[in-house]
Amino acid sequence: MKKTFAGVLAAALLMTGACSSSDDSDSGTTATKPGEKVELTYWTWAPNMDKVVEGWNTAHPDIHVTVNKQDGGDPAVTKLLTAIKAGSGAPDVMQAEYQKVPTLVSANALADISKEAGSLKAKFPESAWNAVTLGGEALYGVPQDSGPMLFYYRTDVFTKLGLEAPKTWDDYAAAARKIHTANKKQYLGTFSANDPGWFAGLSQQAGASWWGINGDTWSVAINDANTQKVATYWGGLVQEGVVDNKPMYTPEWNAALNDGTQVGWLSSVWGPGVLEGNAASTKGKWKAALLPQWDAAAPANGNWGGSATSVTTQSKHKEQAAQFIAWLNTDPAGIKALAGTANVYPASVDSAAALTEPPAFLSNQPDFYTIAAEAAKITKPFTYGPNVNVAYSAYNDAFGKAAASKKSADFPAALTTMQTTTVDDMKNTGFKVAG
Amino acid sequence: MTVSTVIPAAPISTAAPSGKRRIGNRKNSTLATVLLLLGAVYCLFPVLWVLIASTKSSGELFSTFTLAPSTHLFDNIGDLFAYRDGLYWRWMANTALYAGVGAAVSTLVSAMSGFALAKYDFPGKKFVFNVILAGVLVPGVILAIPQYLLLAKIGLTNTYWSVLLPSMISPYGIYLSRIFAAATVPTEVLEAARIDGAGDWRTFGRVVLPMMKSGLVTVFLFQFVAIWNNFMLPYIMLGDDHLYPLTVGLSGLLNQGANQPSMYITVVTGALISIIPLVVLFLSLQRYWRVDLGAGAVKA
Amino acid sequence: MRRGESRAAHSSRKVSAVTALPTETRTPRTATRRGRRAGAPYSFLAPALILFVAFFAAPIGYAAYLSLRRVKVSGLGLGAGARTEVWAGMSNYARSLTDPDFLPSVYRIGAYGLIVVPTMLGLALLMALLLDAGRTRVGTFSRTAIFLPYAVPAVVGSLLWGFLYLPRVSPFTDVVQLFGVEPPDVLTGSWVLWAVANIAVWGGTGFNMIVIYTALRAIPTDLFEAARLDGATDKQIAWRIKIPIVLPSLIMTFVFSLIATLQVFAEPMTLKPLSNTISSTWTPLMKVYRDAFVRNDIYSAAATSVVIAVATFAVSFGFLKLVGNRAFNQED
Repeated sequence: MKKTFAGVLAAALLMTGACSSSDDSDSGTTATKPGEKVELTYWTWAPNMDKVVEGWNTAHPDIHVTVNKQDGGDPAVTKLLTAIKAGSGAPDVMQAEYQKVPTLVSANALADISKEAGSLKAKFPESAWNAVTLGGEALYGVPQDSGPMLFYYRTDVFTKLGLEAPKTWDDYAAAARKIHTANKKQYLGTFSANDPGWFAGLSQQAGASWWGINGDTWSVAINDANTQKVATYWGGLVQEGVVDNKPMYTPEWNAALNDGTQVGWLSSVWGPGVLEGNAASTKGKWKAALLPQWDAAAPANGNWGGSATSVTTQSKHKEQAAQFIAWLNTDPAGIKALAGTANVYPASVDSAAALTEPPAFLSNQPDFYTIAAEAAKITKPFTYGPNVNVAYSAYNDAFGKAAASKKSADFPAALTTMQTTTVDDMKNTGFKVAG
Repeated sequence: MTVSTVIPAAPISTAAPSGKRRIGNRKNSTLATVLLLLGAVYCLFPVLWVLIASTKSSGELFSTFTLAPSTHLFDNIGDLFAYRDGLYWRWMANTALYAGVGAAVSTLVSAMSGFALAKYDFPGKKFVFNVILAGVLVPGVILAIPQYLLLAKIGLTNTYWSVLLPSMISPYGIYLSRIFAAATVPTEVLEAARIDGAGDWRTFGRVVLPMMKSGLVTVFLFQFVAIWNNFMLPYIMLGDDHLYPLTVGLSGLLNQGANQPSMYITVVTGALISIIPLVVLFLSLQRYWRVDLGAGAVKA
Repeated sequence: MRRGESRAAHSSRKVSAVTALPTETRTPRTATRRGRRAGAPYSFLAPALILFVAFFAAPIGYAAYLSLRRVKVSGLGLGAGARTEVWAGMSNYARSLTDPDFLPSVYRIGAYGLIVVPTMLGLALLMALLLDAGRTRVGTFSRTAIFLPYAVPAVVGSLLWGFLYLPRVSPFTDVVQLFGVEPPDVLTGSWVLWAVANIAVWGGTGFNMIVIYTALRAIPTDLFEAARLDGATDKQIAWRIKIPIVLPSLIMTFVFSLIATLQVFAEPMTLKPLSNTISSTWTPLMKVYRDAFVRNDIYSAAATSVVIAVATFAVSFGFLKLVGNRAFNQED
């Protein structure tokens, strides 16, 4: 009985997979080595990924994938880089956040799978595709999930004060003032010096792209006018005291979400899952909206989070690994499992089919994924550099100091520190850097 | 120093009768009692906090008064054990394996070298001891990366061995064993065994080990606690979370990345349960917690 | 029972004097016996030496080698072959020592050590003396309770204290607010140093107390019973008799506490995400961690490690030389 089911499933998957061009090479390999079972390991931190992979394993008895759950994007990259340095110990397949891709490519950790994967370009939005090609011919992974930013707010508090979801950043500042004036303990948000990805997303929305490639030269624009604008804006709000200055993802912040002293959160499409885990009792009181805008006439957005699935350079089964990641991220069954089981927002343009119901925590907002799709569509391009880790840790330290001082002038100064630290590190390592 | 200062060790059983200290009028001191109780409260308070926190539901943890207990302890334990098909048990078993095997081997290795360093004279002895002692000073954080890179060269990373092997050597354990060997193994006994024609290994197994027993239990406990609480080494060595010990597993639950909620309640409950085995070990073997660091230093 | 143990420990001291005897005064042995025994100490030491070389000496040597290397990339630095490892001379050391964050982190652990070591050892000595004086019924309970934090991993202990520090989730906030006072946020500003120090004191007092207590129990009672009969108070006995006798133990606990202080890492690392004040280079070891694991620059990390290791040796051995303690070198 079980076998029959698996057979039918396999047949169905083969048929759906037939439209993907990767299928040709796929059946080629399996046919040449009949009976030989390939074992692949997959490092990922998305929840329930082992269950997602079960679907693949059932349908592909020749290519068995084992999931090694990781603690999150940063530890996984640390371990991968150490394994690459050591020459052994890396998995075949690796989930890699978009901002880590250049770092990993620079360390020669990710294999170019442009030949094995075939042309998947049409299946992904351009910004996601750019993140895995770095604008060149090589392909360092297939986009897995993306994280268009969204703004979440407490409808009960907003209604009570006669507020609406802020359309512009001026509206946001005004709402923050009104909320804090009405209740000294309440804040619309917090400036988190612990979350460089969050700040990068906000800067991306403002039009920044912190790195750039021009021929064989890198450019670094962390303290460009766009990011300066964002830093100055938040410095002003923190100095005024109308937004909090404590980091997010602390027990303190959780308590604040629970007891209604943090009544808004500039987050991402995955926000509802975090809110549900941290403040389940507030279910039904939240709503999502597009981020406030700098220019309401030309709406824009940024990303926070999102990752690709890549093949590592230590994999001995590049072809089979590429086949698996193509299935995971482009096959309807894979996308459905990613969205429904692993609870990520698939990067594929076909994800809408898998995302009909709003997340349980926001069941009061049936059009959640319509808003998310809109947010994804207006996301600005952004290029990451080979030392994002250096820039991000400089963000932690420099903006930590600025947030603690609560002086608006310290915010743009922190940005300058970030820029200098990043450029110095690149020059010291030998990268060709403009300016 | 002359030979006359050598007094044969009194067997433990013939030690001074107990209770001698109670000679004299032992009045209870209120001040002493208050101070000791203050110390106890200070040390127990965070533990009490975990105990209370682990009875709360995830929402209550962040909303109700911190010291108000709730009724969700068993739900939390249930959730913890249900997490990814009982992975927590696996972590617990791994930790017991790392700490148990690692500490046992390390104790034997320490006993042998401590005995050799205390009871033999041989060329290079001082050098060996000083070098091993310098090992006490090296932080684990510094060792972990080069250890990883070297183990990776022989393909041992991400295996039980990668955590077990480095745990088998403890410079501190060797240092303690040397003190214990010097303090508890009388040279006369060794001479007697030698005259009887017993080989060195036989003497070690039959005579020395039993004499050092209580000291070695202390060394074992030390190393057991050190491995049980170690974070950095397994964190670096292991990629597969089925091999994780508790510290690494729990820390992973806490740091799931920005797009996952931190599982505070699960971590708190896991932390509580993870210290129970150690507490039991402490209470049951309390009499072995006797570390006279000065003993080896005193010269007659 | 306990009396017997302490008695044994006491007599053992005299035994330990035996080891200090010159070899020549030992029972003469025959040539054959001597020959057979020559290899024995080495065979006893072999496992320890093999493991030590494999997991201490080799990694340290490798770290020293790495500290002289660096990665050099060319152009964009993307793709295979763009990255090569080259000799760096002393440049990693130069960068490590001139890093503007390095000296402040050294001063910080200096201040941290000045808080932690005296407080922890003072408390440990006080508790041990109170226990040893035996004038209380709560001895066993308190001894166990104070020792208990030793069983809690530093990562877990810091997490617990983190909860107790954060104003909104701390029970202290509620208590203090009853008196109409707004409690300070101990994870900001200059409070942080004390907040981290408190965790170390909490975790370390019990262990040191046990060490000192063991030494106190080993003092033969006749040494102070006479003084007591002469009317000396507990306090006088403690100062004049007990403390001088356990001084070697105190010195050793001091050295080990000092080493632990220089290596402080897990506590600030766990509190870091909760605070804007703790930077990624807050202590020298955190800088090593950041360079190695956040910046993926193991070469710089190795250089800083070597500097820390050398400094630790210098401080520890320097101190032992200073006090003339020969615990490390009995056979001098």
